[in-house]
Amino acid sequence: MNVDETKARAGPREFSPKDDLPEEYRKAATRMLEFHANSEIMGAFLERPFIRKAPSIERKMAFSAKVQDEIGHGQMLYRAAESLGIKTREEMLDDLANGDGKFLNCFHYPMESYVETPMIAFFVDGAAMRRQATLKKSSWEPYAHAMDKICFEEGMHVKHGESILRELMNGSRKEQRMVQEAFEEWWPRILQFFGPTDDQSTHHDFAAEVGLKTCTNDELRNAFLNTYIPKAKKYGLEMPDEPRIRDNGDGTYEVVEDDLDWDEFFTVSQNEYDGSIEQISGRRQAQEAVQWVRDMMDDQTTTNSGPQSQAAD
Amino acid sequence: MATTESDLGGPADLSEEEQRAVEAQLLRLADDEFIQAERYTFWQVRAPTLESDLSISNNAQDELGHARLWYDAVQQLGYSEESLIYESDPSDFQHSTLVELPFAEGDWADAIVRAYFYDVAEDIRLSALENSSYEIIRNRTSRIQGEEGYHLEHAESWLDRMALDDEAGERVQAAIDELYPYALTLFEPVGDVENDIERLGIRTMTLDEMRTEWETRVDSFLTGLGFDVPTDATPATPAGRDNEHTDHWHDLHDEMTASYRNLGRDKATLIMADDDE
Repeated sequence: MNVDETKARAGPREFSPKDDLPEEYRKAATRMLEFHANSEIMGAFLERPFIRKAPSIERKMAFSAKVQDEIGHGQMLYRAAESLGIKTREEMLDDLANGDGKFLNCFHYPMESYVETPMIAFFVDGAAMRRQATLKKSSWEPYAHAMDKICFEEGMHVKHGESILRELMNGSRKEQRMVQEAFEEWWPRILQFFGPTDDQSTHHDFAAEVGLKTCTNDELRNAFLNTYIPKAKKYGLEMPDEPRIRDNGDGTYEVVEDDLDWDEFFTVSQNEYDGSIEQISGRRQAQEAVQWVRDMMDDQTTTNSGPQSQAAD
Repeated sequence: MATTESDLGGPADLSEEEQRAVEAQLLRLADDEFIQAERYTFWQVRAPTLESDLSISNNAQDELGHARLWYDAVQQLGYSEESLIYESDPSDFQHSTLVELPFAEGDWADAIVRAYFYDVAEDIRLSALENSSYEIIRNRTSRIQGEEGYHLEHAESWLDRMALDDEAGERVQAAIDELYPYALTLFEPVGDVENDIERLGIRTMTLDEMRTEWETRVDSFLTGLGFDVPTDATPATPAGRDNEHTDHWHDLHDEMTASYRNLGRDKATLIMADDDE
């Protein structure tokens, strides 16, 4: 199939590994899936300290389960990416460790306090849900299929985040103040999750034409703001004066671009922000420390009767 | 469910002496599972592969679930999650010091050997509780036993693999030598209450019987894989059961309870009862 034929056939869940797809399509789909899978891993890495810090047994269980879910999502998405035949999972995980792999902007900012956790688990996951729901109609069937399970679990994560936010905002004044401060710090990053408003994304046109993307960033941002501004207010959060967001009254919003720090955003997206370096190298260190285990596994083949040495020396 | 002749009944039926013995048995169950789980979660997003990450996360959540069941049984005797964990003193805990030791980054052999030692001990302990004279212990033991079987298989299959590799084998041997004395603390007494626990049939094996069975099983399995087992070792000190702990525990307790304190909380949140809301 050439590119024109691919565009002509493009539709929800249209293409599978059985199709002979042009390299341009396979590269574009790999780029999206790899970014998504990397984001699951780095999101899990960011949240993992709060398994320990969670202030009750049941919250601890929920954090542990959420972090585990993200690893499971990463596993599914890398598999869907591998099936495009461009990169292996090992190559993608190596790139993530050495700083070449890209991932969501919000996961480049370290979290210190428990009150920050709903910024990720409610707002960022809520934003991600908007995008992910549209990916159930991706033209790459393995991607769309993975999204069925992932969206279900992400729905649980957003409830977990909402429950923490509600509890904090119904707590002491001190808790409420701490959450408001965290919200003001995180809100601009959350808005940037969807990229610049006037984004002429280099990758968007092609991805849309071949059915890998079904919504623009502007549409997704509007859908997110329509739901989440009222929710933030409902829980007692005050919207910061800046960045200014104009409500057009028709379900759309204008975000004043100059109120957001785009230099920082592009530094983040190049993995060059201080937080990027901290998160990426933290994970790399952990992965290098268990390289000996992976080496051992590579040297062995597992049979039904148990492990056996691959070569007798 | 068959009951024993000397069935102790429910929480309200216990004499003071009986309650003290039931409490002592429950507390070590709860504390062991909770802290073992807490240390397991160190490996989340740190395990060697995505698959091993998912497995060890499962174990952590199973153990957390068991801890929750045992703490709940203690709470039926008049305690709260806050008083047992978040507002307690580290020296109130009676878990074995095996489960409180920190992991060095990358020391997957430690994780597996510790899991193996613990899971064999847990298997033996649960079999000594399945006919407990305290109904709540009997019932919860049977709920838990199925999951613990998987944990043991998980640890044994990793040991099978690591035994075949020179470097991994050396790391496993080092972990065995280091952890064996700590594992023996699982069978140390809390105090003179042990006689009551046995006499009242709360547990149907003595600590010495459990330890002997553990030593036999561990020795036979590990020797079979070519490892040396330090069978003449004595239990490490501090033992944990006697409320004496390593400094690592004090640090872990501090970190675990920091958010609760910093937020000025006085309640540990329950969420699972509200699942349907």
